Amino acid sequence: MTTSVDPHADTAPAPRVSPDARRGGLKAAERRFGLLLLVPALTAFGVVVLFPFLEALWLSFYEYTIAMSEPEWTGISNFVDVLTDEAVIGSFVSTLIFVGAATVFSILLGLGWALILNHPFRGRSALRGLSLMPWVMPAIVAAFIWGWIFNSRYGLLNAVAMEFGFIDYPQAYLSTPGGAMAAVVIAKVWLSVPLFMAFFIAGLQSMDREQVEAARVDGAGNWHVLMHHVLPHLRPVIMVTVVLGMIGNLQHFDTIWALTGGGPVRATTVLSIEVYRRAFEQWDIGMAAAVGVVWVATILPPAYFYLRQLMARTE
Amino acid sequence: MTKITQSLAVCLAAAAFAVPAQADTVEFMNWTYTEDSGRDLIQSLMDGYAEASGNEVEPIGYAWSDINKNAFLRARTNTLPDIMQVQARFLPTIANIEQVQDLNEVFGQETLEAMIPASFLAMGQVDGRQVALPWIAGTIGMVANQRVLDAAGVTEIPDTVEEFREALVQVRDNVPNSVPYTMATKNNASILLDYLIWSWTFGADVIDAEGNADVNSPEGVAALEFMVGLMNDRLAAPEIDRPDARRLFGQEASAFYFDAPSAKNFAADFSGQGEDYAVNIIPMETPTLEEDGTPAAIQWGHVLVMFNEDNASPDSAASGFLMNLLSDEVLVDFALVKGALPPTVSGLDSEEVKSDGYMTAWAEAAVAPRANPIAPLSNGGAISDIIGEEVQAALLGQKTPQEAADDLQARLEEALAEE
Repeated sequence: MTTSVDPHADTAPAPRVSPDARRGGLKAAERRFGLLLLVPALTAFGVVVLFPFLEALWLSFYEYTIAMSEPEWTGISNFVDVLTDEAVIGSFVSTLIFVGAATVFSILLGLGWALILNHPFRGRSALRGLSLMPWVMPAIVAAFIWGWIFNSRYGLLNAVAMEFGFIDYPQAYLSTPGGAMAAVVIAKVWLSVPLFMAFFIAGLQSMDREQVEAARVDGAGNWHVLMHHVLPHLRPVIMVTVVLGMIGNLQHFDTIWALTGGGPVRATTVLSIEVYRRAFEQWDIGMAAAVGVVWVATILPPAYFYLRQLMARTE
Repeated sequence: MTKITQSLAVCLAAAAFAVPAQADTVEFMNWTYTEDSGRDLIQSLMDGYAEASGNEVEPIGYAWSDINKNAFLRARTNTLPDIMQVQARFLPTIANIEQVQDLNEVFGQETLEAMIPASFLAMGQVDGRQVALPWIAGTIGMVANQRVLDAAGVTEIPDTVEEFREALVQVRDNVPNSVPYTMATKNNASILLDYLIWSWTFGADVIDAEGNADVNSPEGVAALEFMVGLMNDRLAAPEIDRPDARRLFGQEASAFYFDAPSAKNFAADFSGQGEDYAVNIIPMETPTLEEDGTPAAIQWGHVLVMFNEDNASPDSAASGFLMNLLSDEVLVDFALVKGALPPTVSGLDSEEVKSDGYMTAWAEAAVAPRANPIAPLSNGGAISDIIGEEVQAALLGQKTPQEAADDLQARLEEALAEE
């Protein structure tokens, strides 16, 4: 048995990939592995989000109350009812007021607080930590705290107002439409400010200090620095927080339910409360599903906008 | 070989007999278990049955306000319990669940009629089916706190609406920081009960015998005007739900409110003095327009529902537990502790019930209780919300009583047409 030896064996370049490998084969394998890694998340998404949503979408075309053993096809009549029912239209208006007020005040206060905490002063770290407390606290606990503050009989607000002689009798803040809406907005803003503040502080810390100092040397005041340097720098952060705030406030339920139950009458019945009432107080699952689908449709535009921003930044 | 086979068969048979019968587990869904005052009570009932039968009872507790919703969700996922506690007025809704068993077919109609008086047995009937058995029974009526009346200088329990109003004024003027009558003004389901009683008192039916809305009649408007007047004169207050009323009443910051007989237990808890405080709780007739009028009250009770066809045999563990709950040894004490009547023939005839002064007084005060007319309606939840919203709008001054009555009439007519 003889063995032939290639005289050029030591000098010939070693093949970089297997001669059997197809062009782009490595990338394809990576893609396949990537998809495999996505399977658990996609499965969870399908089971927990997609399937319930598709079922709700399906139910929204049916009449389905607890008195019925099987849902009955009604076409788009639930959607016609949703868009013509004064109560549901009222819920849209309440949602608009709540989302608008809660988002605007959360951002303004979050930004203001971030500007304060961005300045060096003694105890700043401790104050930053304490500022996160409302965010850490369960929303339902926060609702009970605010419920106690606004309570007409033994509330803190009435006690203070009476002590200082502003009022003669305890006021029922949660029993007036304006008072109840203000209370749920205040409670939600209190919960949201810490998170928004954290976003803004992160944005402020990436700001070029030399640019601000140069502006000050040129005679710019605080207002000018804020309007022409800080806010333009924070613009992407503001965009994200506005969208996230809107989505969060559109979805909000627990604080409102615990504080006012959607009342007085229907003053704080936002879409989430409307869906809950239709489904679990009136047992009208078909109508609740239709309201829910319309509710999701209202969340989609800000969600799309947010995702587009996110994708644009990652590309 | 045959011998071996026979020996094996004998051994297997012996082994089968030697293994003790597997204990069944009964799932008991109820809200009393979630209440501080009821948890130990329910636990002792379950332990008692488990000890006597060898079966186990697993409690599934939901708050009162959540239990119907969870029954509905469990029905959709085939996870219904074996036995469920249901508020009698919600039974027509729960009876729509397909797995509810007709207890006449389980125990026999004659057996049940011999065991439970017809008037109480009716609490568990829907569309001719015996879908539940009454557990504890009573009425929703008015209670007065004697300590508060003494502090206010009210010497007699008011008989008429006019006397009632005068008593409220006395309480307001003499008991600081009090809500003389803790009328429900916050939760639709609670507002409904106060509104029904006052409407009946003023002669309005709310929903008449033919099933038509009757709320903007002069009597209906007068009832609303009376309720609004109490608010305007600070004799009642906003932001009051039944739990608020119970707390204020027990803490001597309220003189009157409407509740079930279990008002005694809540007052005992909130007073901080326990059962000793119960002597101050006076069951009274709802004030009437005229002195010889019929006081209004609403039928009230808790019933027990059985789910699942597997349980539909008198020998099943679920049937055994149900009958155990309704036995004199278990039921009489439980009902009296809950401040209610045991709705069985032998329970009502027991010495303990006859010698209970509170329950005797309660029964005397509830002369002619009426059924809640909203509860049997298929869209009763929606109608309850409509009534609650319109009455609340009047109470909070968002509408005049006449406007609220007109809007309520129109919305009820539309909702009843869909029923």
